[in-house]
Amino acid sequence: MEEYKKIFAKVLNLDENKVNNDISMENTQTWDSFANILLIIELERALEIKFTIDEIERIKDFESLEKIIKGKIKE
Amino acid sequence: MEEKLTVYDYIKSYKDIVSESEKNDAEKEKFKIALLASSTIKALKEILYVKCYKMNLICEFYESIYNKYAEDIFNEKSELYKFTPDLIIIFIDIMSLIGEDYYLPYNITVEEREKQINSKLHELTIMIEKLKKNLSSKIIVHNFCVPTFSPLGILESKEEFGFIESIETLNFHLREKFKKDKQVFIFDFNSFCSKIGKENVLDYNLLYSVDLKVSIHHFPELCEEYLSYIKPLKSKIKKCIVLDLDNTLWGGIAGEDGLEGINLGPTSTGRVYLDFQKYLLSLNKMGIILAINSKNNPEDALNIIRNHPYMVLKEDNFSDIEINWDDKITNMVKISKKLNIGLDSMVFIDDDKLNRDMIKKALPEVTVVELPDNPALYVSTLINLKEFNSFYLTEEDVKKSKMYEEQRKREEFKKDFNDIDEYLKELNIEVTIDCVNKLNLARIVQLTQKTNQFNLTTKRYTQEAIEALIKNGNYLIFSAKVRDKFGDNGITGVVILEKNPGEWRIDTFLLSCRVIGRKIEKVMLAYIVEKAKSENIAKIIGEYIPTEKNTLVKDFYKDNGFLFIGEKEKKQIWELKINSNINVETASFIKVIDKTRELDLK
Repeated sequence: MEEYKKIFAKVLNLDENKVNNDISMENTQTWDSFANILLIIELERALEIKFTIDEIERIKDFESLEKIIKGKIKE
Repeated sequence: MEEKLTVYDYIKSYKDIVSESEKNDAEKEKFKIALLASSTIKALKEILYVKCYKMNLICEFYESIYNKYAEDIFNEKSELYKFTPDLIIIFIDIMSLIGEDYYLPYNITVEEREKQINSKLHELTIMIEKLKKNLSSKIIVHNFCVPTFSPLGILESKEEFGFIESIETLNFHLREKFKKDKQVFIFDFNSFCSKIGKENVLDYNLLYSVDLKVSIHHFPELCEEYLSYIKPLKSKIKKCIVLDLDNTLWGGIAGEDGLEGINLGPTSTGRVYLDFQKYLLSLNKMGIILAINSKNNPEDALNIIRNHPYMVLKEDNFSDIEINWDDKITNMVKISKKLNIGLDSMVFIDDDKLNRDMIKKALPEVTVVELPDNPALYVSTLINLKEFNSFYLTEEDVKKSKMYEEQRKREEFKKDFNDIDEYLKELNIEVTIDCVNKLNLARIVQLTQKTNQFNLTTKRYTQEAIEALIKNGNYLIFSAKVRDKFGDNGITGVVILEKNPGEWRIDTFLLSCRVIGRKIEKVMLAYIVEKAKSENIAKIIGEYIPTEKNTLVKDFYKDNGFLFIGEKEKKQIWELKINSNINVETASFIKVIDKTRELDLK
C-alpha cells in the first residue's frame, strides 16, 4: 500500500483498507480542521514533500488529496 | 533525555493518556494552565499536557477563544477567572499586535509609530494589571519577535524610531515595566525565535491557512520553554550536579596521562573543558551544588584538582568529593545521603555511556544527561538543560557552596566529641526568630517549596499565597535564622500558625536539611508554646501529613508531648494542651534572639 494512504488512515484513525475516494472532510468525523493540519504536516514530513497554499485549499476529500500527492511524487 | 517526538506522536500520545488519566487521576490535584493567545495555538495544549504528564504532573487547560483573550481578561465574570489558573501564558504575536501596519510599517509617520507603540504597551500593561488584581497565579508574557526585514533595507538603521527599533523599544519597555514584579515574567520569545531561526519559525502555509504564528513543528520546543516556569512552580527542580572527572571535566585519564598530560587549558581541545568548567562554576555561583563521582586513584585526581593551573573549579566548589573504586551507584547514593539531597534533585554528567545506563537503570530518579560524544558540544548541552530555574534567587542560594564548606568543618569538629550534646554546646548556636517581612519572604516561600525531609505537612506556598495569608491577618508566620561558630546558615526554619480563637493550628513547621540535628526545632516549638501561653491559648494543634520523604519527623509531635487525636484523610492530628505550668523541653545551649518584638510588622 502507498505510504500516503497509510498516513492518511493513521492520522484520521481509519481502517487502511477502507480508504476510498469518497472519504471527505464533510462526511468524516475525525477529519476536522485540526486533523487536517496534522495530516498536512505528517505527509510533508514523511514523504518529504511541500504543499502550496492553493493545494491545501483544494484538499476536500481523499480523491483530491491523492491527486495532489501523485503529482508531487512524480515531479 | 528523550528521543525527538513529532507533533503527531504527541497528539497520539495525548489521546492515549487523556482517557487513561481521566479514569485514574480523577482525584489527583491538577495543575491549571490558562493559554491566552492572539493566534491559533492548536496542538500546543496537547503537547504541553504530554510533557507535563511525563514529569508526573496532570494539567488542566483553559484556552481563550481565538483572539478573544482581551474579552476574557476584562470580563471579571469570564470563564478564565472561574478557572482560577495556577499559571497564565499570554502569547500575543507581533503581527496581531500591530495588525495592518506589519507589512506596511512606513504607512504611518514617526509620531504615529511612537504613539502606536506607547498605546500597545499601555494596553498590555492594563491587561496584565487586571489579571494581577483578580488572580494570584504566575503570569508569563511573551515579548515580540523583532522582524528581520524592512522596506528601507540597509537604511533601516538610519530611520528615526524605525520599524525594527519600535518593536525593540516595545520589548525593552515591557521588560523594564515588570522587572521588579514577582508575579509577572516576560518570556523572551524574540530570543526563542532567534534560536530556532526567524526564517524557520513560521510555516507560511499554516500561517495563511489557519493563522499559526509559530510553525507547529516548533511547538514542542516552545513547550520546553514553558516547562522552565512550570518546574520551579511545582518544585520539580534540580539542586545538584554530580560530575565524572576523566573526559568530562578534562580530556584524558588522570591515572594515565597525569597532571601534565591531560587536556585542559587554552588549546583548541583544552578550551572545550575550560568553558565547560566555567559554566559549571556559573551555575555553582547561583546556588547549584556540585559533587564528584569518579573512579580514580584519589591522589591522582586530587593532584589535578588542586594543582592544575587551568582548573577553573576548585576543591571548595565541590560540596562532596567521591573519588574511589566503588561503583558509581554506591557513590551516588552516598553523595545524596551526605548532602541530604534527594536523588530526584540530582543531575548526573558522565561521558561514559555504560555508567550513564547503569545509573539510569539503578536510580531512575536521577536525571542523566546524554552527553554527546563530541566534547566541543559539552557546554551547549549544559546550557540547554532547563532544570535549574527558580523564581527567586535568595541570599542563601548564593552562599550555599560556602555553607557546605562550613558543614564539612563542623563534621571535622564533631569527631572530637563523644557526646552529641557536648558538641552542640561547643558550636555556640544562635537562632534568630523573625516575623515574615519583605526581607525574608522570598526565602520563606523557597523553603516551603524545597523542603522535603523535616517538613511536617509539605505544603507548598507561592509568594502570592503567603502574601494572602499575611493579608488575612489570622496567621503568625515566622522564620528562624541559624548561625554558629563555623558560619551563617541563613534562614533555615519556617513556621506558619493559624490563630483560631482558643486554639492555634500549626499549618507548616519545617527545617532545612542543612541544620537538621542541631535541635533548632526545639527552640522553634518552645517559641510557639511560649507565645500561646502569653496569649492564653488553650491548645495547639499539630498536623503530620506523611510523604515518601518526611518519615524523619513522623514522631515529632509525639516526642514533644503532643497527644494523638486521630487521623483525617491521611493527616494525623496531634494536640498539646497549654496551661501555665507547661514547660516544653527547649535547647538551653542555643541563644535565641527574638526579633519579632523589635518591630511590629503589619
